[in-house]
Amino acid sequence: MRAVKYIILSIILLIMIFPLLWMFRISLLPANIEGTLANFFSSYFTLISYLDLFHSGNMLIYLFNSFFVGLVVTLGNILFCFMVGYAFSRHAFIGKSFWFYSVIFVLMLPAHIVILPLYLLIYKAGMYDTYWALILPFLVNPIGIFLVKQYVDSLPRSMEEAARIDGAGEMTILLRVVMPLCKPALAVLAIQSFMTNWNSFLFPLILTGSKSVRTLPVGLALYQGHQAIDWPHLMAGSSLAVIPILVVFLLCQKHIISGITAGAIKQ
Amino acid sequence: MRVRQTAGVLLASPWILTFLAFWLFPLIYSLFLSLTDYRLLQPTYSWVGFQNFINLFSDTIFLNSLKNTFIFVFGAIPVTTIISLIMALLLDKSFRGRTLFRSGFFMPSITSMVVIALIFTNLYSRGGYIFLLAQMAGFSPPGNGFLLSNKTALLSIMAMDVWMSVGYYMLLFLAGLKSIPIELYEAADVAGAGRWRKFYSITLPLLKPVTLFIIVINTIKSFQVFIEIFVMTQGKYNSSSAVYFIYELGLNRFEFGYASAAAYLLFMIIAIFSFIQFKLMKQG
Amino acid sequence: MKTKSFIPFLMIISLLGIIACSGGGRKGEPITLEWWQFWTDPAIKPTIEKIAADYETHNPGVKIRLTDLTWGNGHEKIVIAFSSGTAPDIVELGSDWILEFSSSGQLAPISKDIIADTAKFYGWPPAIYNNDIYAFPWILGTRVLYINRGLLKKTNLDSNFVPVNWEQLKKLCYKIDSLGGGIYGFGSNAAEKHTLYKKFLPFFWSNNARIVSEDGKYSVISSDKGFAALKYYKELSDSCGMVDTQRRLEDAFLAGKVGVIISGDWLLKRIRNEKIDIDFITGLIPGPEYPGKSFVGGEYLAISNKSQNKIEALKFIKYLTDRENELLFCKTNYSANPANEEATKDSFFADDPALQTFIMQLNLSRFPPADPQWVYIEDIIETMLEDVLFNGQPVAESLYKARNKIQKLIDEKRK
Repeated sequence: MRAVKYIILSIILLIMIFPLLWMFRISLLPANIEGTLANFFSSYFTLISYLDLFHSGNMLIYLFNSFFVGLVVTLGNILFCFMVGYAFSRHAFIGKSFWFYSVIFVLMLPAHIVILPLYLLIYKAGMYDTYWALILPFLVNPIGIFLVKQYVDSLPRSMEEAARIDGAGEMTILLRVVMPLCKPALAVLAIQSFMTNWNSFLFPLILTGSKSVRTLPVGLALYQGHQAIDWPHLMAGSSLAVIPILVVFLLCQKHIISGITAGAIKQ
Repeated sequence: MRVRQTAGVLLASPWILTFLAFWLFPLIYSLFLSLTDYRLLQPTYSWVGFQNFINLFSDTIFLNSLKNTFIFVFGAIPVTTIISLIMALLLDKSFRGRTLFRSGFFMPSITSMVVIALIFTNLYSRGGYIFLLAQMAGFSPPGNGFLLSNKTALLSIMAMDVWMSVGYYMLLFLAGLKSIPIELYEAADVAGAGRWRKFYSITLPLLKPVTLFIIVINTIKSFQVFIEIFVMTQGKYNSSSAVYFIYELGLNRFEFGYASAAAYLLFMIIAIFSFIQFKLMKQG
Repeated sequence: MKTKSFIPFLMIISLLGIIACSGGGRKGEPITLEWWQFWTDPAIKPTIEKIAADYETHNPGVKIRLTDLTWGNGHEKIVIAFSSGTAPDIVELGSDWILEFSSSGQLAPISKDIIADTAKFYGWPPAIYNNDIYAFPWILGTRVLYINRGLLKKTNLDSNFVPVNWEQLKKLCYKIDSLGGGIYGFGSNAAEKHTLYKKFLPFFWSNNARIVSEDGKYSVISSDKGFAALKYYKELSDSCGMVDTQRRLEDAFLAGKVGVIISGDWLLKRIRNEKIDIDFITGLIPGPEYPGKSFVGGEYLAISNKSQNKIEALKFIKYLTDRENELLFCKTNYSANPANEEATKDSFFADDPALQTFIMQLNLSRFPPADPQWVYIEDIIETMLEDVLFNGQPVAESLYKARNKIQKLIDEKRK
């Protein structure tokens, strides 16, 4: 039975991984060799595409920018989405419905319509082509708010109420009681935030212009040339791009899997 | 127990500020534009009221792209949800190598969508691996490749999308599974319940919040599918989506007022949909 | 001086002083020219930077600030910038985009300052609007026939056979196609945006067909000539055509799977850069009788109407497009069609048969009609081609449908 499970899992793994293996394999080929089946299994390997990326110096800039912005936005998301999500779940205040609908509104409106006025706004505020443009509008993420609200909704209020009766202040309740309970949701939020921001393309494309603030997806897009794609360099760039998120994932997944205390609360 | 109003407002202030600073103007501006015949680069434009919206209802190209979007939503979401649930169930209990499988299943989700789309364009083409695999398995794929056929272009993109996203939703399901108290299972064991019984009576019901979240998020994302189509087919071969239509209309043909109307119409459709989903799930 | 007239005198002096000071701009303050351009890949970018740096050296007080545009989304970025009044001084525009901007007053007219240049450059038609010129041609690109000589040699045709009319092209493609073994004669483009119509229009124009009548009042796409062209193209595609995207057609051509394709000079660059070992010849696009007409597009440099540095910008554009710099660019990028006529006479082009084909073809090429509604017309033509080639629609009916749609566009505009 065990063996069968491993076989099924391995087949699924192969299906999930294969296109990425293909991508990685292409990144190890020089430019004049096609990515065909025969070459996939050939023994020809070269790191030249990776070396080229670093040699031009741009890759490091792009990686740094994406990482820096991603980190700041993710940390901001964890803190702010948690606060706001909790407020929507537990608190009542004037205009709560309106603000909740505003979250949904922003989530559902296609980016291509919003990008023009947003660009205008950012430009007039003097934030065009700066890190601010990449960070500030995205510091509080609608999906994150939604995620936290859903999760907190499903938590029983008993612990909070107990703490309140004991005389604890709101902030203490929030940070000492509720936040630890939300670890799984926050771990998911962290991964989701970082991922979305890491792969974000349209907004960085329009809201920045110079190399110094450019993020990875925009940088990689420059390898899609006029009438030709620079496959080895593009694949090398995207292989590199996977590593940081993989690291974030490996760090956070423990919390998702081991955050058991939430469900084990006795009523 | 009364909670002071001010605490709520303070806690929600990050969003309130962000919305007021960055999103209020764009939302109102686009709503305003949707009621005009504004064209990009043109200095003058005039009010047309709801004419844009009325025109949309008889715009065959828009309706077609909307139809494709619905196919995408109804086709991809059930499949994605079920597959990711199965994956989560398979990886729930601890066993040797579990982390490897979990990371492996998740990897497609973290790779750039553009790069994935480019890779799959190659895999789907005549002589590409998926094409060859289909031939070997006895299916006869369209002669020019999966993406160059009216029958298979959209479905191929959907399949790629499912492949890309199951890992991420699997993660959400895993988190949900882990929050189910073990005591419930133990109690069921004592009562002599079998595997399926436990699944139906304990697991599924307690996974409802996560499932609802996954379906709603996936719905919102699927209704806005764009990048894959932009990279792989540019909307040809009957694969255009609503957002792709909006993009073409607004940024390529410069009919920005009309495109804004389409965007708002899409938004209303998504909202209605999510609302219905919410109600259905709450009842069931 | 009497007090009464002193004050007006003072005012006049001050006024004159202010006028004098603001007239010529403050001396010594550096001008920054913002330039958005698309040539960003590591092979050509250094050349662009070098040209800009050289200009800065010869013109102290001017700084050139480059912004990279991606080929996939650069157009959007440009449109958004112009729409919000934040356009750069100089922007590189594709030939089919110029009219969008010139017809809405976004670009600075330059005809007064380039009268001497108009005779020395190719490619003015797309830059003209309302009897004024709004962009400067920089790098053009036409399309020619590529023939895989390896496959040609396997047929019983002469190993230097280049078809000069439709009959011969058909013969060549049939013969290569009948070699069998998965080999196709002709590379037929699939439904690909901004690409398919560029492969059909050469045949259309070669037969002297027109999309719109000369007076601009009627759509004549469905004339007999248009019908014959579409029929011929469809036959070619159906009988010996491999249908695929441009990139994959080129891959297949280079791998010896397709005998004849229509492509631009980027294929030459690829063959050179990737050191592909292929025996090929290039030929002019054939018409029903020799010679035919090909499609040409290109990259142009335009100045934003809101720029504060129009004079300096034009100076830089002239520098970019002078003979030396155009040659430098073409040699580095292996581009075949510089807009600068002087440059085309260099031995770099004359000594290379493939490049020479492109130079010759340029004189036998046409730009798509300069129409502000070209985006719509292009779409109508693409739909028509897809219907005929891939959806089994009859040729005549599809042509008539296209004609009616284009006519409707014309009528609505003239209202």
